[in-house]
Amino acid sequence: MTTIPNERLRTPLAVTLSVWKALFLRETVTRLSSGRGATVWLLGEPILHVVIMLIIFTVIRIKVVSGIDVLAWLIVGLTFISVFKRTSSQLQNAINANRTLFGYRQVKPVDTLLTRAFLEGFLALLVIIITSVGAIFLMDVDLIPDDLGIMLIAFFGLWLMGLGYGLICSVATELIPELGKIIGMLGMPIYITSGAIFPLHNIPQPYLGWVLYNPLVHGLEIARLGVSPYYHVIHGTNLMYLFQCALVSIFFGLALQIRFARRILTK
Amino acid sequence: MIILENISKRYHTNHGPGKWVLEDVSFTIPRNVSVGIVGGNGAGKSTLLRIIGGIDQPSRGRIERHCRMSWPIGSANMQPSLTGRQNAKFLCRVHGHEDDIPERLAFIQDFAEIGSLFDEPVKTYSPGMKSRLQFGISLAFKFEVYISDEATSAGDASFRQKAADAFKNMIGQASLVMAAHGEGALKEFCTSGIFLNKGRAVWFDDLDDALSAYKDSIKK
Repeated sequence: MTTIPNERLRTPLAVTLSVWKALFLRETVTRLSSGRGATVWLLGEPILHVVIMLIIFTVIRIKVVSGIDVLAWLIVGLTFISVFKRTSSQLQNAINANRTLFGYRQVKPVDTLLTRAFLEGFLALLVIIITSVGAIFLMDVDLIPDDLGIMLIAFFGLWLMGLGYGLICSVATELIPELGKIIGMLGMPIYITSGAIFPLHNIPQPYLGWVLYNPLVHGLEIARLGVSPYYHVIHGTNLMYLFQCALVSIFFGLALQIRFARRILTK
Repeated sequence: MIILENISKRYHTNHGPGKWVLEDVSFTIPRNVSVGIVGGNGAGKSTLLRIIGGIDQPSRGRIERHCRMSWPIGSANMQPSLTGRQNAKFLCRVHGHEDDIPERLAFIQDFAEIGSLFDEPVKTYSPGMKSRLQFGISLAFKFEVYISDEATSAGDASFRQKAADAFKNMIGQASLVMAAHGEGALKEFCTSGIFLNKGRAVWFDDLDDALSAYKDSIKK
């Protein structure tokens, strides 16, 4: 037999791109068709969350938070934090859920993480648009963006942060399964101090300074500022800090993926 | 052509690094030579196949592959909650055959003889059905080297015959790297042999020599 022409072997880039496309479509199918409630719950979870928090706020008679309507404050906070929460938690389980696919050498663990992150970002954006439009038309909440650009930047920053945190957590739980429980517990303080459910404005210094170490705070505050220019952003909010944290954690997460790639595969 | 240079492999266990499964294995599989891997249980046949197939990395050493190579067929790597069709489609995309997916799917459905089950989740398949599907999928792509971990033992007698015929048809266009316990299957498809024993690998140009070396090792 004559020699096989070289162009039949695909370039690494071509292989990776086709793997990403295949994984993305597959993840979409499994994500949206697992169980009957998968699609309903996608929207139902944030809405229910908003409703529960709204009831609590009504009971303690808070109508306005830092210059904007409490409902607008809650919807922006809870839907925007969910891009971080969903992306990082889906990434944490991605390697185990896709282990069978590593039987095809084209598929690397990091591919499954990146495609999942894209899917979750896309879904979270969809959820934000649907709940916001729904709230504007059905409940007459003033959620029409004043500065859409800055909201999108904040969303992007929160998504990047979820990606970075998820990349790190996925390696950590793969190598030391017990860490998974600790990461789960860590989620609670991160969530509470992010300012998604409780306003942080009344926290006195120096404690407010501590809370501001949580990068999510900065993203959520800026997102709310995008809805209304009259929103009083917490003093010390800095969107750059969110992006710095996100990029550092993505870099660190990818480095861990490379360092432990073999260990993850042969587990 | 596949070149292995000083390949060693050990796995991490709960008690630290395990014993060497493969030690300093070097050989070259020339183009268009089908090889059978023989050795007792736990000799490292599957590990070697996984390393050749690129789904496991050696602890030490280097491997070069100058060909389009299949995944180890017969070991079913499927998402159980997706249908056979969805799994097959995924693999078409991974292997870069975006343009003619329908033709390939038709071929797979026909070859695997699973009919309407093709649109049911893979978890509802019997083991035989599953391996027939796996086998059909792997034949839907043109590989230069097929890696097989007892793939021809899949399914019932009539399917085995069909699988054997399909394999024979490919000889000349493609070669095979295969691990099997049945001497018959090895003799049917392979010309050369690798004998694995205590982590070492010995290459034999003639499969019969590898088989007799294996038999000699059992007698001792």
